[in-house]
Amino acid sequence: MIVENTDFRIDEPDLSSGYDVALIKRFLIPMGLNFQPGEVDYTVILYTLNDEIIATGSYQGRTLKYVAVAPNYRETTAFALVVTHLIEKVMEHNQQVFVFTRPENIPYFEGLGFSHIATAAPLISILEFGYKGLCDYQTYLRTLKCPSQLGVVSSIVMNGNPFTKGHQYLVEKASAESGLVYLFVVEENRSVFSFDVRWELIERGTAHLPNVILVKGGYYIVSSATFPDYFLKSEEPGVITQKQTELDIRVFANCIAPVLGIQRRYVGTEEYCATTKLYNETMKDILPKEGVELVEVPRKLAEGDGGLISATKVREAIKDHKEEHLADYLPASTLDFIKSARFEPFREKILVSEKRH
Amino acid sequence: MILKEKAQAGTFESSDILIMVEPLEAGAGRKIELKSIVMQQYGDDILQQLHRELDALGVQDVRIIANDKGALALTISARLETAIKRSAGIKAS
Repeated sequence: MIVENTDFRIDEPDLSSGYDVALIKRFLIPMGLNFQPGEVDYTVILYTLNDEIIATGSYQGRTLKYVAVAPNYRETTAFALVVTHLIEKVMEHNQQVFVFTRPENIPYFEGLGFSHIATAAPLISILEFGYKGLCDYQTYLRTLKCPSQLGVVSSIVMNGNPFTKGHQYLVEKASAESGLVYLFVVEENRSVFSFDVRWELIERGTAHLPNVILVKGGYYIVSSATFPDYFLKSEEPGVITQKQTELDIRVFANCIAPVLGIQRRYVGTEEYCATTKLYNETMKDILPKEGVELVEVPRKLAEGDGGLISATKVREAIKDHKEEHLADYLPASTLDFIKSARFEPFREKILVSEKRH
Repeated sequence: MILKEKAQAGTFESSDILIMVEPLEAGAGRKIELKSIVMQQYGDDILQQLHRELDALGVQDVRIIANDKGALALTISARLETAIKRSAGIKAS
């Protein structure tokens, strides 16, 4: 399809075709981007009328990725065309668009009307654009804010997939040691248990703690919009993941904690998952500098000989049909849910899943 | 005119304006977010123009994101009309 009033042609490659993918990879490698077709939902290529590739861009969910323009065409309208095209597609289904890019590209995206959210120097920045934005999320936070409290204001970020006695122990400890606890529930629906169910189980499991306030994590706390594993050659995957955790924590420290007056964040120690462990390490590094105290609480041991409690073990036990041990790991509220008929669709998901989360 | 869905018209290119339209519930009024490279010189004019044309189109409750790259008045007019009509589901006849 020819773009109106230009000498450019826009094309949608077939990402299941090895030929098309190789074409995109060849174009992106010199610009330091390692294109992973599994990490995008859609890609667009801009050609000249001589069939020379001059620009490309992709998105996954509501996040733009791999936007790149050939050096000779950076003075042209190619960049604006690609971004306009991608935004139109993403906004059909979403209220806002994010873009992951390198910090040196911030001015180009700001020039198109994007707003900068956070940077993990020197590799990744995140920007947003659309009807909804960080301001709307902050407005939502203000509606939950409890005025003038005695004691420390704490926070916990929790996926709760599903809510275990370990989670409960962490919340109880934070609740006892603080005046107020904001409990952020990860909203992204990428886990076995849906957001609604996770929220409900956390709500029921913490109902006895009056100073705990549940908060939706939105797109700004551990979401796939702000946390894709993505791009940049010559960097080990470990470094990129580390930068992504840094980005997430900076958003928390700079944009979320000040709105609610959060002074402390509680986390459980991590023994199993390397990514979460890295996330904790990064928090130790950054949060104190930003004025948020980090409290790492050792994980709770299960009653009997079940070892440390973790939601992963719960899902494994369900998968291996060893549900008799679940009572060691789960509070009554979660156990009731697992015994109810509403659990059946999730059981099927667990039985077929291989995923970590 | 009754708006039905989100719609957009225009591009991020120089001398163009990107207009995004989102319907709002009745009584919500107009929420216009204008960004322009000539905000200081023409920001108020553009805003007035948008309001005038929304009046003419009979649109009261709408959120508009307008991202101007120095578009001429007639371009702004055309982009706004197109976005509104797309949002209202009116096809070219």
